Amino acid sequence: MCYVCDAYGDGGLWYLNPKNYARQMYKVKKPGEKAADFGADPESQSGRRLGEIKNMRFTDREKFQELVKDANSKKGTGLFQIGQALPLQDAIKVVEMSYPVAAMMCICRKGVRAIEETNKDEYSCTGLGVGMFKWERWPERYRGGVHFMSVDEATEWLIKWNKKGLMHSIMTFGGAYVGGICNCDYPDCGSIRNRLDYGFEEGFLKSHYVAKVSYDKCNGCGVCVQRCQFGALKFEVTMDKANIDMFRCFGCGLCQTGCPRGAIDLIERMSVPALREVW
Amino acid sequence: MDIYPQIAIDRSKCTTPFDCKKCLQICPQAVFAVHAVKVERFVETDKKVPGNYVLAAPHRDKCTVCNDCIRVCPVDALQITVPSPV
Repeated sequence: MCYVCDAYGDGGLWYLNPKNYARQMYKVKKPGEKAADFGADPESQSGRRLGEIKNMRFTDREKFQELVKDANSKKGTGLFQIGQALPLQDAIKVVEMSYPVAAMMCICRKGVRAIEETNKDEYSCTGLGVGMFKWERWPERYRGGVHFMSVDEATEWLIKWNKKGLMHSIMTFGGAYVGGICNCDYPDCGSIRNRLDYGFEEGFLKSHYVAKVSYDKCNGCGVCVQRCQFGALKFEVTMDKANIDMFRCFGCGLCQTGCPRGAIDLIERMSVPALREVW
Repeated sequence: MDIYPQIAIDRSKCTTPFDCKKCLQICPQAVFAVHAVKVERFVETDKKVPGNYVLAAPHRDKCTVCNDCIRVCPVDALQITVPSPV
């Protein structure tokens, strides 16, 4: 169990705890903070704090590394938005627990690649919970509109993006309030980038699973290699098999859902002693 | 000390980056970002109005100075300078 489970899980996985879907947890702000844009929501406050730290790398590299270390030591204090990788089956469970579920445009892709998503076939992000009822107030944030979905439609929709090769991650909106499921890839996704390029951990934690290749079943077709977003999966030429570095693996399950022979299993992170503290 | 490539964006020339998006989509390192200057309630910002969106290069530490963006820019608004080694 990760530290978010310790704090918000009540003995189970934090994102399967119904408490974390309660309206009362929506937009829990830290007191005394100055308002930013979009009504000073926890998302933009966290983004502003990260931005201030990241800007430091241009002027003082050592200070920047110190600040990243300091930010990582403050995990769980509510200063930063919590995100975590989710395998497909868990993402579907989250969608089943939320109401409403809405497809919307991805703000990271809009910012980094200027990709405009204007209809329900293009939307690649999911908004969950009461916040989505207010989308019309901020049409710039929900550019191109939103599309409210039933659980079945949302499940189909998650599977569609999974097949295309986007990995799911859960996003919070103040504390552990479950506010959305992103479908991410590198380098579009801000959270993945913050983790891989700059070392911020809280915005993008590893999932409760880790992928393992079964060498008996793998025939070395290489389909999984192009699906890994984290550089954890390589093709081992001499063995003619896929190879996963389990320390680097984020447990998103993209390689597992892509494998045509079922040669990759997602095993529980807690069942691997050396990976229990690797989040 | 700033050891990374400096990307100068002439915002008097680059006025509608969210509509043009050429440099944003060609960069192999995804160095650029675009954002709305002002976000208003109940209003979707018009990407064709000059000055509504601005271009920035927040990830310039990842820039390899391949100059693809300069080549593709229709208004010649970009300039990259590499700091000289000390």
